[in-house]
Amino acid sequence: MEFLLSDDQLTLAEGVKDYLAGTHGPEVLRRLDEGSNRDPTIWQGLVEMGLPALLVPEDQDGLGLKLLDAALIAAECGRSCLAEPLVDTAFVAVPWLTAKGDIADLAPIVSGEKIVPLAHKINGWVADGDGASLQSVDPLRNLTVAPADATDDPHLLNLGALMSAAQLVGIADAMLEQAVEYAKVRKQFGQPIGAFQAVKHHLATATVALEFAKPVVWRAAQAMDDGIDSAPVHVSHAKLAAGDAALQMAETAIQVHGAMGYTYEVDLHFWMKRSWALIGAWGNRAFHMKRVDGGVIGGSLDIGPAHTFA
Amino acid sequence: MDLNYTPEQQAFRAEIREWLADNVPEKPLLTLEGEEGFHQHVEWERKLASGNWGMVTWPKQYGGRGLDLIQWLIFEEEYWAAGAPLRANQNGIFLLGPTVMEYGTDEQKARFLTPMANGEVMWAQAWSEPDAGSDMAAITTKAVRDGDHYVITGQKTWSSRASFADWGFGLFRTEEGSKRHKGLSFILFDLNSPGITRRPIRQLHGEPGFAELFFDEVRVPAENMLAGQGEGWNVAMATAGFERGLMLRSPGRFQATAKRLADLYRANEENTSPATREAVTQAWMGTQAYAYNTYSVAAKILAGGKIGAEASLNKIFWSELDRSMNRSAMQLMGAAAELAKFADGSVNQWLDGYIFSLSGPIYAGSNEIQRNIIAERFLGLPRQGAG
Ligand SMILES: Cc1cc2nc3c(=O)[nH]c(=O)nc-3n(C[C@H](O)[C@H](O)[C@H](O)COP(=O)(O)OP(=O)(O)OC[C@H]3O[C@@H](n4cnc5c(N)ncnc54)[C@H](O)[C@@H]3O)c2cc1C
Repeated sequence: MEFLLSDDQLTLAEGVKDYLAGTHGPEVLRRLDEGSNRDPTIWQGLVEMGLPALLVPEDQDGLGLKLLDAALIAAECGRSCLAEPLVDTAFVAVPWLTAKGDIADLAPIVSGEKIVPLAHKINGWVADGDGASLQSVDPLRNLTVAPADATDDPHLLNLGALMSAAQLVGIADAMLEQAVEYAKVRKQFGQPIGAFQAVKHHLATATVALEFAKPVVWRAAQAMDDGIDSAPVHVSHAKLAAGDAALQMAETAIQVHGAMGYTYEVDLHFWMKRSWALIGAWGNRAFHMKRVDGGVIGGSLDIGPAHTFA
Repeated sequence: MDLNYTPEQQAFRAEIREWLADNVPEKPLLTLEGEEGFHQHVEWERKLASGNWGMVTWPKQYGGRGLDLIQWLIFEEEYWAAGAPLRANQNGIFLLGPTVMEYGTDEQKARFLTPMANGEVMWAQAWSEPDAGSDMAAITTKAVRDGDHYVITGQKTWSSRASFADWGFGLFRTEEGSKRHKGLSFILFDLNSPGITRRPIRQLHGEPGFAELFFDEVRVPAENMLAGQGEGWNVAMATAGFERGLMLRSPGRFQATAKRLADLYRANEENTSPATREAVTQAWMGTQAYAYNTYSVAAKILAGGKIGAEASLNKIFWSELDRSMNRSAMQLMGAAAELAKFADGSVNQWLDGYIFSLSGPIYAGSNEIQRNIIAERFLGLPRQGAG
């Protein structure tokens, strides 16, 4: 038993974080927003880092890494508010297709030529699809109407929910950082607003929720990697914890920014809107609550101190 | 205590209900925070005025009906129940209007109130400055007396709908070198005056609902000052009281939201959980409590009382209730919550509502500031340093 992210995992995630921090800052989000939302050079950079191949089995020319590795990178994609459909294609579609045995589709994903729009019944829309377009609150999301024959495959739903949860903790981290930085520089009544206890407590409270969401997400990823029966409950737990923490962080961050936070001019809005989108995606709060409820009250899960991981 | 409406009150309710049923636009108007939508809402203000519904509590001579606060609450209940549009002139009729009523001369009342009630002149507020938000006493924009004019120079910001409005009102420093709350005056100005530049600022949703106002030696007639020179802070506090208190956000608005939330729940029952159900029930309980409190405050005011720090309780209650109701709706909607418009083309009002509800705890004095006020002035706790 070792509930610990390995050095390799952390190094990989750190590398992606640095890469995105250097190439995908807020100015890129603004440029994309003014343009067509997608930029082949950004995608190409991700392909060159080998990210689409991350979860592709080694015998299919992939890196054969695990969902937990991918979840850590998904969090970094959230932190940088990445708009390219990397998480959907590489971390949701790839393991789903692999599990279904559709390995023919993997090669063009590895090479970066193919992205896979995901049509699941629970969403009602498809991100980066080719149907009639729908407008998301998130200016960088390209949504289209879902086809009538969208699947209701639970494995796809679990992967989608898990990777949303992972992105959400990264998004929340980014919002926290922005709010903390703002609280240090914005002055009112002759002092930085971060010196007011009310502001401190808001940020501290949201931080507690976020830090206690993260291990839930990593545990859920590991549960899916291990293929344990209770994995869906853990995924739902992760989606709830990460979604609630991100929502609270968004509400806290805008509050700390005051009127500035209620504008399109401050970067924060990109992350807030992405958080709202991903909180709603892949099962609403009630859907996931019912699944956890089925474990805890419905009895499908052994609970109690001797059953932390079983 | 008597919780029955009088026959006159009931007749009044029936009258406004009927008028609204005949006149409320069938299709929702475009957003108030964009230019085209703003003008649609101005048309609606004029429609209301044509039925003499602009501001029912005002004296008849200023375009009102001379009704009391209970009738005002009834009006508001019917207004929101009918799904009528937001008020384009809310800063005028709900905030400046009552302030002019209290501090204006007869000449000022005649000059400003009647066109306000008639929907002819739309008003914007100009308090905040880049370095003076919560700390409003830090404002620096100055108004220097020059003969029978004041000459205004400086900058205001976050002025809601000032890009589209006609007139503005706010606080200016009229005494050179004065500090904090002293030396401030409350001045009304024509937004089209030479020397004013308006820069629209896009709000969270993307619409240009804010404006920055730059004043470059703008000449404003001295008779546009409300109360005396240097008395502005007290006047502004009265306006803020209306904003936090019962004028700006009457219960009807939130009760309508709670009802829509219950409808949303019923329409999506298969996608709900006990927590969702409780949130919907809580919404009703919260809005009812807000309504009871408002009725009791109204009764107190009718009996000659005043509201003080209670206005801060009020502001926290409605703003956090509104945010929590809209948040519940977003959570209930799941994947559809992020859509600006649904596949059938209709606007996702819950998304708009949630976004707007996030500003409630910020404007009209942030909730952190309100909590400080409650703690210090209502509970008598010691003050901690500045702010
Ligand atoms: C939708 C909307 C409409 C608005 N319309 C207008 C308008 O029409 N006209 C106008 O003049 N202004 C308007 N405003 C501006 C509004 O008055 C200010 O946003 C508000 O006063 C807060 O100031 P600020 O935004 O500068 O935030 P800041 O004062 O910078 O506050 C930032 C954060 O610090 C906290 N903080 C500050 N001081 C303290 C303290 N002493 N103790 C604890 N916490 C503190 C705040 O609560 C907040 O969370 C509007 C704002 C919004 C969001």
